[in-house]
Amino acid sequence: MIAADVASETEVKLKDAALRQVRRGRLIAGAGVSVGRAVLIAAILGLWTYAAGRWVDHDAVSDPLAVLGALRSLVVTGRLWPDLWQTVMEVVVGYLAGAAAGALFASLFALAPSVERVLRPFLIAVYAIPKIALAPLIVMWFGLGIAPKIILAGAFVFFIVFMNAVSGIESVNPHHVNIIRVMGAGRLAVLRKIVLPTAIPFLVLGMRLAVPEAMVGAVIGEFISANRGLGYVVYSASNELNTAVSMAALVVLVLVVALADVGLGMIESALMPTHQAGREGRVV
Amino acid sequence: MSSPAGVVEARSVYKVFVGRDGEARMALRDVGLTVGRGEFVSLVGPSGCGKSTLLNMFAGLVAPSNGSITHEGRAITGVNTRVGYVTQDDNLLPWRTVLGNVELALECKGVPRAERHARATDYLARVGLKGIENLYPHELSGGMRKRVSIVRTLIDESVDVILMDEPFGPLDAQTRLILQDELLRLWQGSGRTIVFVTHDIVEAIALSDRIAIFTSAPGAIKEVCEVALARPRDVFHIHESPGFSAIYDRIWSDLRDEILKARGADAA
Amino acid sequence: MPPDAQDAAAALSREQFLLAREAHDVITRRRNAQWRIHVSQAATLIVLLVAWWAASGTLIDRLFISDPISVIRAFIKVALDGTLAFHLQRTLVEMMCGYVIGVTAGIATAIAISLIPWGEKIVRPLMIGAFAIPKVALAPLIIVWFGIFLLPKVLLAASLVVFIVYFNTLAGFANVDADTLAAMRVMGASRSALFRKLILPSAAPYIFAAMRITLPGALIGAIIGEFISSNRGIGYFIAEASSRYDTARVFAGILSLLIFVLLLNLVVSWLERRASFWRPAPGAGEMKR
Repeated sequence: MIAADVASETEVKLKDAALRQVRRGRLIAGAGVSVGRAVLIAAILGLWTYAAGRWVDHDAVSDPLAVLGALRSLVVTGRLWPDLWQTVMEVVVGYLAGAAAGALFASLFALAPSVERVLRPFLIAVYAIPKIALAPLIVMWFGLGIAPKIILAGAFVFFIVFMNAVSGIESVNPHHVNIIRVMGAGRLAVLRKIVLPTAIPFLVLGMRLAVPEAMVGAVIGEFISANRGLGYVVYSASNELNTAVSMAALVVLVLVVALADVGLGMIESALMPTHQAGREGRVV
Repeated sequence: MSSPAGVVEARSVYKVFVGRDGEARMALRDVGLTVGRGEFVSLVGPSGCGKSTLLNMFAGLVAPSNGSITHEGRAITGVNTRVGYVTQDDNLLPWRTVLGNVELALECKGVPRAERHARATDYLARVGLKGIENLYPHELSGGMRKRVSIVRTLIDESVDVILMDEPFGPLDAQTRLILQDELLRLWQGSGRTIVFVTHDIVEAIALSDRIAIFTSAPGAIKEVCEVALARPRDVFHIHESPGFSAIYDRIWSDLRDEILKARGADAA
Repeated sequence: MPPDAQDAAAALSREQFLLAREAHDVITRRRNAQWRIHVSQAATLIVLLVAWWAASGTLIDRLFISDPISVIRAFIKVALDGTLAFHLQRTLVEMMCGYVIGVTAGIATAIAISLIPWGEKIVRPLMIGAFAIPKVALAPLIIVWFGIFLLPKVLLAASLVVFIVYFNTLAGFANVDADTLAAMRVMGASRSALFRKLILPSAAPYIFAAMRITLPGALIGAIIGEFISSNRGIGYFIAEASSRYDTARVFAGILSLLIFVLLLNLVVSWLERRASFWRPAPGAGEMKR
């Protein structure tokens, strides 16, 4: 009896010691990484501040504090909001339209696979054209208003969502289809029970990848023809060599994209709890 | 008892596959097999001998190039929805829970939801899988997934012929024995017919009433062997059963020739 | 015995007949299906072109969509008089320089970072952040910094390439087979030998995948730069034509860009096949059942 107690006591002590050691190791590693990051950021900001004015023209590169100041003034004077709103509108509307169109067309292909086989070379050709080459065309057609930016953003989004959705449809496991057909499922049931659930993760991935693309489309549209919007601010401010403002607008752009991605991630996990935990999107 | 024509039958079946390159290959050559009602028949043979192709024909997924395949005396045209089909990989739908997967056949046949739920839960409990109804396939072990996949097929009681294509192949040896035992207990006395493809001779002897031995490609049935061992069988000690060795030797000597032939063909 | 031999011979010839017939049926069926698809494709193309031509001037103002004949004419004109070559050549140079710089920088950075203990983890937020910046939004700034000639387009192209190559190279490094690594270390391989003989070759597929994916990115970077400020390049060609509402020329430019990309894809596929001759062809070695 006593020997058993002593044995289990040793067990507990050993486990505790092992746990403590591992935790300590992790803490040290974590601290080291954080220190490294802090040093890195400080080094970059410091180098930037030092170089501005000494190695490079200050007007060209500005410096961290000036950018912060420009950002603050944009917010405080309220100059930021109309431009921000404009760009966000373009991105959101373009994204929704493009994603809907992409999903719709992909499902048409699922319903008529023979059509897909016929149209495939056309799709490859259209997909080969860098979408930005269409930008001048779209601006030519839709003028200077908000429409071309929306359509451009939508076009960018459409392609990505569509290709990913089609990819999902093509990835259907033929064994699943066979099994369910032997169980008595008709064509519609196969589509609903097998094709749709298989394609949805691909569709969602496409929708996540499309968010920065929508932003790219809107920004390019604003570069080419605009008098409002964050992209326009980046463009015009840099033309006036007002680099601080240009960079400040850039910072806001990045924040918008980051927020959108986080938001979409939350929606995704809320709607699809079946996904394995820790599944990261591959950058590839 | 069993109708003279058998419940599932193949008569003079040939199958030719044409590859992408235009090369024609004969997969099955003049295959004839009669499976009686309530029988457990195994198909064994070397890899590539066409036993899975024959199974797919019974399922209506593949049509014979010549000859006839019948189920209950009626020729099979198109997908045969009156059989059950268990594939080698469990092929559970990853986006459905265990319950959702088990109910699949009943769903396709229009059984109302409450009844589906009740039957699925009941069947799962019967095989000792109670409590995992709401888990997803990726949360289960390989053995559990295979059991769910078998339950998914057996639950449809309107189906009395079950086709199984090397269902225990990917499992480890211990799990395989346990599942063989479970399969026998589920099947015994149910009156259902099972056609079972395997390349494990011991497994075939442990489970079957008759064993059809295939030649190497192009596949034909070399011999059909009666397994006259008493039921219920003890799969864990099957090799100790009297008569086991004789049957095993007979099958192995047939099979060995075919395997060597197949090997020779590969090396050529 | 003669009767048996006769039966056997009959059976054999019956089988040959079956084989031949099935092969013939299947091949004919496949060929017909292919034919039908090709005919449908040709029909679709013709229908589209005719509809375009019919709508132009009647339904939609010719200014906006031009018509097939004008576009072909414009295309042939710029193709023959050297304008196309003039612009495409510039774009090609910008794109390839940017691509090479981006790939080299991506791989070099990945190697350098991997040599620093915890280096990857330390710089990760920075890299992800930099990657998240829509590089196209940087275009005006890059032009301010680097002028209006070749360099900004090259850098823009490189910026679209470098991050993906970096992340993929790291992924390749991380995916080295742990067992092989352990075995080689037990064999006494030095760090540089490990790197050269195991880590780098294991990462090769990832790196090649990144290289394939980012080639279009380099083109996009070059074109964006040309949109914003340039006097040469296919992007400039298209933008300039659109500012003059010379729609036929715009379409001709887009058409030539399409051909350019398709040719580029062909070259890349050819290169890939040459480089991967040691890989089994897809589908080979599969057990045929």
